[in-house]
Amino acid sequence: MSEWLMEAKGITKVYGTVVKTRALKGIDLGFRSGEFASIIGYSGSGKTTLLNILGALDKPTEGSLWFQGEEVSRMGEKRLAAFRNRNIGFVFQFHHLLPEFTALENVLIPTWIQAGNGTRRKADRAKELLELVGLKEQINNKSTDLSGGQQQRVAIARALINEPALILADEPTGNLDSETTEQVYSLMRDINDRLGTAFLVVTHNDHIAAKSDRIITMKDGLVIQDETTSGRPSEEVWQTVAPGYCRHCYKDSDEVNNQLL
Amino acid sequence: MRFELKVALRFLREGKGQTLFILLGIAIGVAVQVFLGTLITGLQRDLINTTVGSSPHLIFSGSDASSLMPESFSSSDASDSSDSPGSPRHSGTATVTTAGNFRREDDTLKNWADLMALLDEDASLTAVSPVAQGNGFVLRSGQRWPVIVRGVEPERANAIYQLQAALQAGTMALEGNGLLMGSALAREARLTTGDQVTLELPGGGRQSFSVTGIFDLGSQSLNETWLFLDLGRAQRLLGLGDDISRIEVQMTDIFAADTLGAFYQQQLSGITVDNWKDQNADLLSGLQAQSSSSVTIQVFVLLAVTLGIASVLAVSVVQKSRQIGILKAMGTPSGSASRIFLFQGAFLGFGGALLGSGLGFVITQFFLWGTAQATGRPLFPLEFDPGYAAAIVVIATLASVISALLPARKSARLNPIEVIRG
Repeated sequence: MSEWLMEAKGITKVYGTVVKTRALKGIDLGFRSGEFASIIGYSGSGKTTLLNILGALDKPTEGSLWFQGEEVSRMGEKRLAAFRNRNIGFVFQFHHLLPEFTALENVLIPTWIQAGNGTRRKADRAKELLELVGLKEQINNKSTDLSGGQQQRVAIARALINEPALILADEPTGNLDSETTEQVYSLMRDINDRLGTAFLVVTHNDHIAAKSDRIITMKDGLVIQDETTSGRPSEEVWQTVAPGYCRHCYKDSDEVNNQLL
Repeated sequence: MRFELKVALRFLREGKGQTLFILLGIAIGVAVQVFLGTLITGLQRDLINTTVGSSPHLIFSGSDASSLMPESFSSSDASDSSDSPGSPRHSGTATVTTAGNFRREDDTLKNWADLMALLDEDASLTAVSPVAQGNGFVLRSGQRWPVIVRGVEPERANAIYQLQAALQAGTMALEGNGLLMGSALAREARLTTGDQVTLELPGGGRQSFSVTGIFDLGSQSLNETWLFLDLGRAQRLLGLGDDISRIEVQMTDIFAADTLGAFYQQQLSGITVDNWKDQNADLLSGLQAQSSSSVTIQVFVLLAVTLGIASVLAVSVVQKSRQIGILKAMGTPSGSASRIFLFQGAFLGFGGALLGSGLGFVITQFFLWGTAQATGRPLFPLEFDPGYAAAIVVIATLASVISALLPARKSARLNPIEVIRG
């Protein structure tokens, strides 16, 4: 078995048949168990497309995706669905809880999909997870009666319920204020430490990116930088990554500073 | 409970207003179907009952009996009846005699006991009644009323004509020289039970009888013309000897009259079997047309209901596309995603149809109550048939599931990455 939990080999993605848009131009990436990685890059750089392919929601035009030695990109619709259900947890920017269900039910839905039915053991586990994300009191609240941060925490608990090896998060804090962002990030990091679940987070948030074990920078459908950060202070990490990712951010902030001066 | 069921029910429960509206729509449609079906069935049953409830469904008479009777029925020759007054008989041909002003084809039944035995054994027949029939006059204080003399065995005739129930006065005793008379004739001739009347027969013979009972068969012409006599007495009076005119029969499944009649017609050569359906062809084609129009209306109601469900579910798929997308991302296979909507269709159809059946029942009762207001009796009896309502519930549920097919397909095809980006 390879060293990777998940490995993408030469992945390209082309949209359209007449006018072809190449969203990914050949991505080779591997992710280890228990890793906490971020993907950063401008809008349109291919981050989300890549995440959808890694999450088996989308198929690559070329290349292959491997998970624990199995080729995911060859699976049919049914097996893909089962694969997602068992091995991948999803956390989306807009929470995507089902408003018809309570917090607890939302967390349990992946287990229903798997087994067709709920069990007491799973329900207990769901309560534990909701406790873990700090929502012990809101277990039976309708998801519409929860704040944005609470909803996102329910979504994280839901992503964890089937004990996946990897959680894919697409801008999980993009919709939240900075304080809540910090809470959600700490929670993900905590789960990563305690349960050993690997995280791959697409983000625009410098703090989250800088605190990851690994920062992957994308531009125009290519990975242009892949930096392992562990052990280094986040400010220093950011200095190495920023030139590739956000040159204009600094230029802009210089301009702002100049204007202020 | 299966996961798709759970989601389907929750979607319905959360979309309360929408769910209620469509349930109500289905319920009204089904109620119309149930009520219309009950009404038409009741109306037709009443019409048929009025038409043939108290009259024979099959009539067996002879057709040139002498030569064409099958082995079992032709053991003796036809000469028994040749002493019938004014009815010369030529073997092998149908004979016509003139009796008063009536031309009468000779259709007497000979050796009918065997036929009676055969018919008595047929379990599908509810009544078998031999009749000796002829024309005559009732004489009373110098006046003459034309009548049809019907010789019967009282018990057997009662099974067809419900004579006992039709009696206005007197009893059904026909022994000796008793006779039963129609109410209209009794009124006109100013006769009551116990009165003596003189009967004049075509041959000129006269005989005195006493009125033992007066009946009302619900038909003016029957009440004016029919007299019931004892069978043996009538045979002698009419000069039929041991023969009779016909055997009248009632059966359980009255709509099988033509096939059963044809069956006997084929089995028994030399016998003519008439059935009520041929004699009431106009009525039947009218009823047929009524039934078809009722079915047509019901089909269109069902179609409207089905389209309603289809459109509500189609809208619902769009409304719930985000939820479907997220369910799929979390590993719900397409088949499962489509079942969510099939279940919704089934629930809506079944629930709405149950509600509608109840409503249909209420409307039926209301109709009975309403039409009973003026006369104290409903216009005609309606029987709410739970089997029919159940059939409609099943059909409506199936139609609803079918109408959910398109939305379900849409749900199955929904691509999760199109909705999860927000």
